[in-house]
Amino acid sequence: MEISEKTYTNARTVSEAMQVALNSGGNFRFIAGGTDVMVNAFQGNDNTVHLIDINRLEELKGIVQDEHYLRIGALTRLDQLKHVDAVKREFPILIEAAQAVGSPLIRRSATLGGNVLCENRCIYFNQSEWWRMAVGYCLKCSGDVCIATGGKKACFSEFASDTAPALISLKAQLLLHEPGGERLVPLESIYSGDGIKPLLLPRTSLVKEILLPRAQHFKSAFKKLRLRESLEFTSLTVAVSKDMQGAARLVLGGVDPKPVLLELQPGESREDIIKTALKKGRAVDNDMFSRAYRRDMIRVYIHQCLNQIDFQS
Amino acid sequence: MKVLTLTVNGTKHQVLAEEHESLAHVLREKIHLTGTKLGCEQGSCGACTVLADGAVIQSCITPAMRLEGSEITTIEGIADSEKLHPLQARFVEYGAIQCGYCTPGMVMSALAFLKENPRPSRDEIREAISGNLCRCTGYKKIIDAIEAYVKDIAGLTEHKAEDPDLKFKMLGHGRPYLEASRKVKGAAEYADDIQIKNALHCKMLRSIHPHARIRAIHTEAAQRLDGVKAVLTGKDLPISFGVLPISQDETAMAVDKTRYAGEIVAAVAAETEAIAEAACKLIRVEYEALKPFFDMEESLNDIGAHEKIHSHTKFNNNVHKKAELRFGDQQKELAGAAHRLKMDFTFQGINHGFTEPHGATAWWDENGLSIITATQVPHYLHRFLAKVLQTPMNRIRVIKPFVGGGFGGKSDPFPHEMIISCLAKITGRPVKVRFNREEVFLTNHGRHPSRISMELGMSNTGEIAVLDADIVIDGGAYGSFGVVTSYYNGVLLQAPYRISNFGFRTYRVYTNKPQCGAMRGHGAVNSRFAVESMLDVLADKLGMDPCELRLKNFLDSDTFTVGQYRITSNGSAQSLNKVMAQSDWKNRYKKLEYGHGYGVACGFFISGSALPIHWNEYPQSVVHLKVDLDGRVLISSGASDIGQGSDTMLAIIVGEVLGLSMDHVFVLAADTLLTPIDLGSYSSRVTFMAGNAAKMAAEQLRAKIMESLAGHFGIDPAELNFAKEQVFTNDRKVNLSWLEAVELATRRVGALNSSGYYNSPKLGGDFKGAGAGLSPSYTFGALVAEVKVDTSSGQVRVLNMWGAHDCGKALNPLAVEGQLEGSWHMGMGQAISEEMRFENGLLLNANFLNYKIPTSLDTPHIYANIIETGDPEGPFGAKEAGEGALHPSIPAIANAIYDAIGIRITALPIRPEDVLAKLKLKQTEEPV
Repeated sequence: MEISEKTYTNARTVSEAMQVALNSGGNFRFIAGGTDVMVNAFQGNDNTVHLIDINRLEELKGIVQDEHYLRIGALTRLDQLKHVDAVKREFPILIEAAQAVGSPLIRRSATLGGNVLCENRCIYFNQSEWWRMAVGYCLKCSGDVCIATGGKKACFSEFASDTAPALISLKAQLLLHEPGGERLVPLESIYSGDGIKPLLLPRTSLVKEILLPRAQHFKSAFKKLRLRESLEFTSLTVAVSKDMQGAARLVLGGVDPKPVLLELQPGESREDIIKTALKKGRAVDNDMFSRAYRRDMIRVYIHQCLNQIDFQS
Repeated sequence: MKVLTLTVNGTKHQVLAEEHESLAHVLREKIHLTGTKLGCEQGSCGACTVLADGAVIQSCITPAMRLEGSEITTIEGIADSEKLHPLQARFVEYGAIQCGYCTPGMVMSALAFLKENPRPSRDEIREAISGNLCRCTGYKKIIDAIEAYVKDIAGLTEHKAEDPDLKFKMLGHGRPYLEASRKVKGAAEYADDIQIKNALHCKMLRSIHPHARIRAIHTEAAQRLDGVKAVLTGKDLPISFGVLPISQDETAMAVDKTRYAGEIVAAVAAETEAIAEAACKLIRVEYEALKPFFDMEESLNDIGAHEKIHSHTKFNNNVHKKAELRFGDQQKELAGAAHRLKMDFTFQGINHGFTEPHGATAWWDENGLSIITATQVPHYLHRFLAKVLQTPMNRIRVIKPFVGGGFGGKSDPFPHEMIISCLAKITGRPVKVRFNREEVFLTNHGRHPSRISMELGMSNTGEIAVLDADIVIDGGAYGSFGVVTSYYNGVLLQAPYRISNFGFRTYRVYTNKPQCGAMRGHGAVNSRFAVESMLDVLADKLGMDPCELRLKNFLDSDTFTVGQYRITSNGSAQSLNKVMAQSDWKNRYKKLEYGHGYGVACGFFISGSALPIHWNEYPQSVVHLKVDLDGRVLISSGASDIGQGSDTMLAIIVGEVLGLSMDHVFVLAADTLLTPIDLGSYSSRVTFMAGNAAKMAAEQLRAKIMESLAGHFGIDPAELNFAKEQVFTNDRKVNLSWLEAVELATRRVGALNSSGYYNSPKLGGDFKGAGAGLSPSYTFGALVAEVKVDTSSGQVRVLNMWGAHDCGKALNPLAVEGQLEGSWHMGMGQAISEEMRFENGLLLNANFLNYKIPTSLDTPHIYANIIETGDPEGPFGAKEAGEGALHPSIPAIANAIYDAIGIRITALPIRPEDVLAKLKLKQTEEPV
């Protein structure tokens, strides 16, 4: 047997992490909680050679408030959020979303930064190597056909993050550290909509902080479709937040390769909203719940969420 | 590879680890701390939970390299040497430990959580452990234990004076399992925890085709790989086997053709797991695909020019077995019945979901073959190893270590056991195998997917007049227990209700999917669902309370069923009355708001199969007792404790008869070299059969001692009492300690030992099929479920389950409650969330993420009621408690849904989308 070329680096600083990344010949990945990466590695879905552990990067830790933003360090564990007063006060929906992720054990390891970058999922992809060989490899693992749809053009793996829809509804931005410097981008802008490569970010992008605009007095609602109350990825996530002007951002997860964002103006009819959501959310039969049911539930959850925030239609 | 420094439980370790190796692997394989368990390897079960620098993590998905320099605490670091941590002590005391496989992770999760929140509510505890799956307990006793510990640390526990006689209280006093402390410390060794020196590792290559001819297998490249010691294919082990003598249709690996995707085609033994795995990838198999059969209807029909799954089947179809029995003319009776109802039901297959994956190690030495393996049935494995390896039984030893749950899923002899035994012979080295969770699912042997069409006729006054069932069960690729399953689907419907006209026909068909077999409640669970649902419909039709309807129809005690089952003790009515009262049935049923409902159902099951699988006159259970000068009674029994507590049951019986505490009792079990024959842990037979054998052995030992002492003292043997480790006459003229009594008796008889055995009485009618479902005793029970249905999503939430089960006599009430709670929890899983979903023969959800075992948050309040009817032939009146209780739980939930929203459930699992679809249909049919 050949000696494995794999490496694991515990980076101490952002610049060290970047340096290792740039020297790795491209086959690398930053790893934080690892709850996603390690499972994908176990299944043979992630064969990254160089793992760069960022858990020790102080620059990515902590939660601070400035005049305009609540700045949440990317390494904040999902479970920590419920203890943070500023989050409790201004963004309770984020706690609800974070608590909906996985299980209490997962939430103690998984980070907020990692969750928004969570790999897309599909019941035909998140399988062992043997299984994928038996089914005949799908588009997302170098095959030439989508098993879920039979199509050859597009992969419809589901966007799986629960916190991202909530964050997008709250107009979150990401502070990215990249070799060229830092930049601030709206969270929704990093998702491609392509199930094979769902992120538009270069691999060298490191999420440093998640920024939430303060003093917006959001009124929010959150729903996640799952069969059990724990240990579940989403089959449909609906998050909506209404600002002081009565406009709202409605975000769906789990029904498209990217989060589906609808900007709602006060007075917009429910039927129009639902129609648009159903049109934009390209759900396919790649989940334990059927496509038809998930689409039914888009309607139900949008109604329930909009009622909950008193959205005037 | 890199040197990794970790401090584990206070000890510094430097180990050579792979760069991406998981912490769990390092802890288990390199530091040999095997209390950290692997259940899923994907962060979906929590068995591997440990603390790293005080933070709780799942070690199976944590890279070890991350923790360079960290302090790790595993379960082995929780107890203070011999003294349990107080939380561990509560786990033991409260019976929170059954198979013990989830226990270490559960304790670690709870401890981490309690550090954050030392005064949690019960609901917060439920939430805190909802990432840790337990398949045995239904979480109830785990939550109770944590709650008790929380009270302890808050100083709220009232300390009672310890009862000095407690240790002598045997029958009817709840006691923790003998091995509970070992399990809670993570010290109990399961198959994969046992390291045999110099062992090779085995990995399997599995078919990617559901049905294909194997043209050629090219193993040369694999064989050439450094570190590979042997490669086997089907032709190396061509002798067929199968747990039932009548369906020996399986081989260790596919020979000539493969019958399901996942079937083993080749196996490799190599120096490391990684090499074995790499070698499997180098094996090239040439397949010629055949038309696969996935649908059971299709398998019933003539298949034309296509190739059958098995050539031995009678007709040009894939029917494995047709079982049919009729008592009377059902159709005639139905035609004349006042009320006649026909309904169709469909059931998906489910898997046992035990938390410990299969694992085994085999080796050969001067004594022949030894194998340590996670099995419920050492005896049947013993037989089939002899057959397949062509080795006499006296050269084979099967050893059962601690087993992390079985539920029927470890009750067949398995291909991997044959394969490693053969590899060990060829290589001259021990060979070890451990399955991952996907392989466990592919091995399956779970509950058969079924389609049941049932007709019931009833009089105007609510007497059941006739029952006719037409059943098809999907056996998958091989036979397993399927012939028995076929009969049980029908025959176990002839009780608990009086039915004088009864018939059924079951077809078991082969399909190209992993085989089905026996699972808790074997055979009767789905057909019981059909009957209990239909009684609910008929009660509604007649305007009768469904409990009243059932009470009216129950069989009496000491009677016979239409198929000549001898019913002795019968606690049906007590069970039902108990749960009616406890659930406040009369005031709640049909009286709750829309979306909220109550439902009831009853159950019936065997307490041990009266007929052995291999027909012979040998006893079904033997127990030997050996006493030596240390005064300790060694109980030697072949019974397999798989977490249900049978070792403790044996000790209780022997302790009771001889007046001993556990200090003087030692159980040696399930090692075919050292222990006598016992057929194994299946058909709910162990308490009844091994228990009776133990009782007989203990009584004989007592008689021997009495006789010797009577001779010595010149008294009547009957004057002697055995209690509190003393042997004495009432007048205390003879007043010996147990040790003195043993010494005196041994001096007189020379050697002191005894044996007991059990064989079922001759039972049953004189007709073909009369043997199916015969049992020396039967059990009965009832359950009321309360549900809420979210009518916007169709999701069902079970709020409460009040259950009662007639176990004759609870020898160990703590263990019996645990069995009942676990059964109901497992039934709830089949009802609302579990199914094995296939697509083109490929199992879509072979993991704990998408095979949805209810978590602690999904599990309702469970109220367990033990009903004691004192069985005339059971040991001290006891009969089974491990399987029968499951039956009523599923239909009770379905009937509660009807009460809640008026939707009749005819398919399992109860998928929210189906409920929603039915609700919509109802709304269009009956506009509000």
